[in-house]
Amino acid sequence: MIGREVDFIKLSARQLMTKRLRVALTVVGIAIGVAAVIGIVALGDGIRYQAIETIKAQSDLTLIEVHPKTSEGVTQFITDAGLERLRSTPHVVAVAPVFSDSYTTKRQTFLPVLAVRAEEIDRVVHLRYTEGRPFSPGKMEVVFGSALRDRLQRNEGIRMGDNFTALVREYDEQGMPHDKQVSLILVGALGDRDDQFDRIVLLDMATAADIRGTGQQYDKAFIRVDEVDAVFSVVDQVTAQGLEAAGAFEQIRTVNQFMDAILIVFMLFAAFALVVGGLMITTTMITSVYERTREIGISMAIGASENDVVRMVLYECLLIGIIGGIVGVAFGYIFTVVMNTVGKPFIISRLGTEFSSLFGSEIAKLSPEMMIAGLVIAVVFSLAAGIYPAVKAARMNPVDAIRGFM
Amino acid sequence: MTAAIRTESVTKIFSNHVKALSDVSITIERGEFVALVGRSGSGKSTLMNILGGLDSPSSGSVFFDDMPVDYRNRSNLINLRRRQVGFIFQMFNLIPSLNALENVAYPLLFNYTPKNERNEKAMQLLSLVGLSDRADHLPHQLSGGEQQRVAIARALVADSRVVLADEPTGNLDSKMSAEIYQLMRKVNRERGVTFLVVTHERDLASYCDRTIELRDGMVVS
Repeated sequence: MIGREVDFIKLSARQLMTKRLRVALTVVGIAIGVAAVIGIVALGDGIRYQAIETIKAQSDLTLIEVHPKTSEGVTQFITDAGLERLRSTPHVVAVAPVFSDSYTTKRQTFLPVLAVRAEEIDRVVHLRYTEGRPFSPGKMEVVFGSALRDRLQRNEGIRMGDNFTALVREYDEQGMPHDKQVSLILVGALGDRDDQFDRIVLLDMATAADIRGTGQQYDKAFIRVDEVDAVFSVVDQVTAQGLEAAGAFEQIRTVNQFMDAILIVFMLFAAFALVVGGLMITTTMITSVYERTREIGISMAIGASENDVVRMVLYECLLIGIIGGIVGVAFGYIFTVVMNTVGKPFIISRLGTEFSSLFGSEIAKLSPEMMIAGLVIAVVFSLAAGIYPAVKAARMNPVDAIRGFM
Repeated sequence: MTAAIRTESVTKIFSNHVKALSDVSITIERGEFVALVGRSGSGKSTLMNILGGLDSPSSGSVFFDDMPVDYRNRSNLINLRRRQVGFIFQMFNLIPSLNALENVAYPLLFNYTPKNERNEKAMQLLSLVGLSDRADHLPHQLSGGEQQRVAIARALVADSRVVLADEPTGNLDSKMSAEIYQLMRKVNRERGVTFLVVTHERDLASYCDRTIELRDGMVVS
């Protein structure tokens, strides 16, 4: 049985050889479609990869910030029970709830306070001290972020180990504000981080609660995840609790959404090219069937079934599809090489120096899966394009066909 | 004695109400060489197409070796064409892209014969028709007479017991026509293959055992 199919395929190959130019042009048609599709995907994947790598290099992706969320007038707060559930989520390394407060210095410099538990926050954000040490729990000790520390040292002369007075604004029953004076000691300073920690005052949570005198709701929690790939599943856990997740991962999400949208539009155009290629195959095969009307009639008279005729036409399409797919993948490959050598400097010059990291890597990535997919697409389109001519050939009345009428 | 071909009251009316065959009842014994004659439009080709399973009668029955042909059953008709009947048409009935040997072997492709056997058999038949030295020639490299000899070999390759030839010498000169008839006769005699040959040339009918004449879709003799 397989031998018979091989013979049919050989026969089809022979038929194609008798009209080489026409077949070659058709092959180029379908190949351009395939090349367009895989070229666009390769370029899209490459750009997406580079954008995400750039984000990964520039931001702390495995840090997630959790916020309370208000929807339809109901606020979902961060609760200890909720935090416990997040702690037991796979890939979560540590969870640190915090609350924010704000004090001022005597000279009215604003002090954004982040009340934290020392051991928790350290496991989440890996604080690096350029000077001094972490605060001790329960003491009136504070740590400054690098920018804040520079500013206070320059403007107010607060140095490491200094006692300084902070004003905590409170309101009495009539709503009149008055400031409570609190004496704090600067015991440490953080290194440059390029994030929110540069501008804050870190304070022990128990101390901060004492200063306010009232129990405080967590207004934020930080989560550390062990690997980048797990971030989105942890984010899903957070949102499942009705809370809001924020962080650098949002940039990746934005990049992905953006690239998906662009790719869909581009793929549409590539698909047009494929459809045109498919129509070329249909035209070629209709012409071929028409030219071989007598031949098909005679074949039927001497024993070819309708199935055999369909098969013979479809095998020709299959061969065109395979050749078109291979040529298309080759075109696509050439496209990626050109993009990576000629196109890359151009794109980088447009994007600016922030993307200079692209220089070392490929801007268009053609994966083996994509090559196989290109081949499969070509074959599927070719076979689909052949259905009409094949059925038309098989439906011919052999009596008319032998006389040369379709 | 079982008849190779028997028709009982075969009538064919085309969709445009033209009555091509009217009540045709003929019997062709095994091993006979029969000429089918008649003017154009007399229904010769229609009868050949019905006998070859390419067309179906409006009414009446056809028997091959006393077995009725079921015209409603496609696979039955395909089997008829694959194994029981060999066809020879007028000119240009070879596949242009196949050489002589492949053309002869071509029908065997459809009835699942393995390649070696196909080529062996085709070669035997090519030498039977005297063309073993032309096996690798393409049809356009062969003369009209040679092409028709290839077609005869092809009609015999599936071991069909009946060959239907529709004006096999219509495009050949009289010398070549005679050669073709002599060849068909030889096959008929040596192999016992039954031939039904459409012709409009009276002198060629003399090669045949007997003549069936159609006129306006009816058998006149």
